[in-house]
Amino acid sequence: MAERYDLIVVGAGPAGLAAAIYAARARLKTVVLDESVPGGQVKTTHKVSNYPGFPEDVKGADLAKAFAMQAERFGAQIRRAVEITKHDLAGPTKRIELDEEEQVEAPAVIVATGARPRELGIPGESRFKGRGISWCATCDGAYFDGKELHVVGGGNSAVEESLFLTQFARKVTVIHQFDHFQAEPATVEEALHHPKIEVIWDSEPRAFLGETALEKVRIENVKTKEVRELATDGVFVFIGMVPRTDLVKDILRLAPGGYVETDESMATSVPGLYVAGDIRAKRFRQITTAVADGTIAALAAQKYLKEKR
Amino acid sequence: MGLRDKERNVSENVKEIGQAEYEAEVVGASERMPVVLDFYSTECPPCEALAPKFEAVADQFAGRARFLKIFRQGNRDLATRLGVTGSPTLIFFRGGREVGTRLSGEDIKRSALKQQVEEMLAQAAA
Repeated sequence: MAERYDLIVVGAGPAGLAAAIYAARARLKTVVLDESVPGGQVKTTHKVSNYPGFPEDVKGADLAKAFAMQAERFGAQIRRAVEITKHDLAGPTKRIELDEEEQVEAPAVIVATGARPRELGIPGESRFKGRGISWCATCDGAYFDGKELHVVGGGNSAVEESLFLTQFARKVTVIHQFDHFQAEPATVEEALHHPKIEVIWDSEPRAFLGETALEKVRIENVKTKEVRELATDGVFVFIGMVPRTDLVKDILRLAPGGYVETDESMATSVPGLYVAGDIRAKRFRQITTAVADGTIAALAAQKYLKEKR
Repeated sequence: MGLRDKERNVSENVKEIGQAEYEAEVVGASERMPVVLDFYSTECPPCEALAPKFEAVADQFAGRARFLKIFRQGNRDLATRLGVTGSPTLIFFRGGREVGTRLSGEDIKRSALKQQVEEMLAQAAA
């Protein structure tokens, strides 16, 4: 038998938890489902400096916990580490099966599943995942005490996580496809002046090489076409994100890049189905824009439920 | 519902080991039944996320497969020897050697873990 809710939120990142805070305070019976523990990408960000309300930097993991505690305080239920094994979100009653053994349903759903780290898609990448290649500096940085690391990317994540990795690594070499970083100027300046950080501009990885563990990364200079192999102890990849649209890709039209289009109330073309956060087609993806999306989606869902009654 | 989340204790079917016990508890024991070894770390949200799934699958296969976890920071030599550089990493053993595909990182699904254990059991029976 299915447990019935007013609102199901899928994804316990900033967008989903902001939605849950608003929905629970509006006395909607709300459940938040997540494959992992709450926090989305924030939980593995070592520090957050641009989220209002924190005059000092806040650890991503602490901010994630605070979001979740606030949602739970108002009665939202957060289901951690559950896997969605079946779903039907197209009709007036949305149904979701969890871990092949449990059903939940609701007339409104907010999909805030965010995005997963983009992979390079080059030879050796899947083979050396967890054997030298990582996407999470807070998880794996400490494995590389005194080692020589390479970071791929040039946006905020790449530059900030490179700085974080200097706590452990002897040297961090950033490989970036352009001749300048796309990160915030304050962070870029810190990185470019850091004694342990070196940058290889205009270059992209082409292959990961090694016997049983990663030993070398082959890179190509995109301007000169020069190819060379660099010895490495580990590579961290921060080259952007891919939206997680598994739940909605069959019932919604996706924008270029795979993102979901909404109107300004976060509504999709399916009545009662909303999306919020990094999954949505929009120009800027920040924690602040995610919580804004979640807020709007919850308010819109609340109005939808009221009109439906 | 929800009990599994809120009143969760470490399952009695998951045992924590140190590297000194690796030969006996992992390699040796895998001669008798499949073994799954979980390398985890602190300050690792994906490890926290894996823990309840790992325990649920351990309970499901109780008596048929062994589920062990090992703290990476306290067992660096073994991590290095096995080439483990990411947490969490799940390694599968049967017949005294590593088999199957290692699972690593944030997106380890309960169904993927279950499937690998089932495959090991099927091979053991064959």
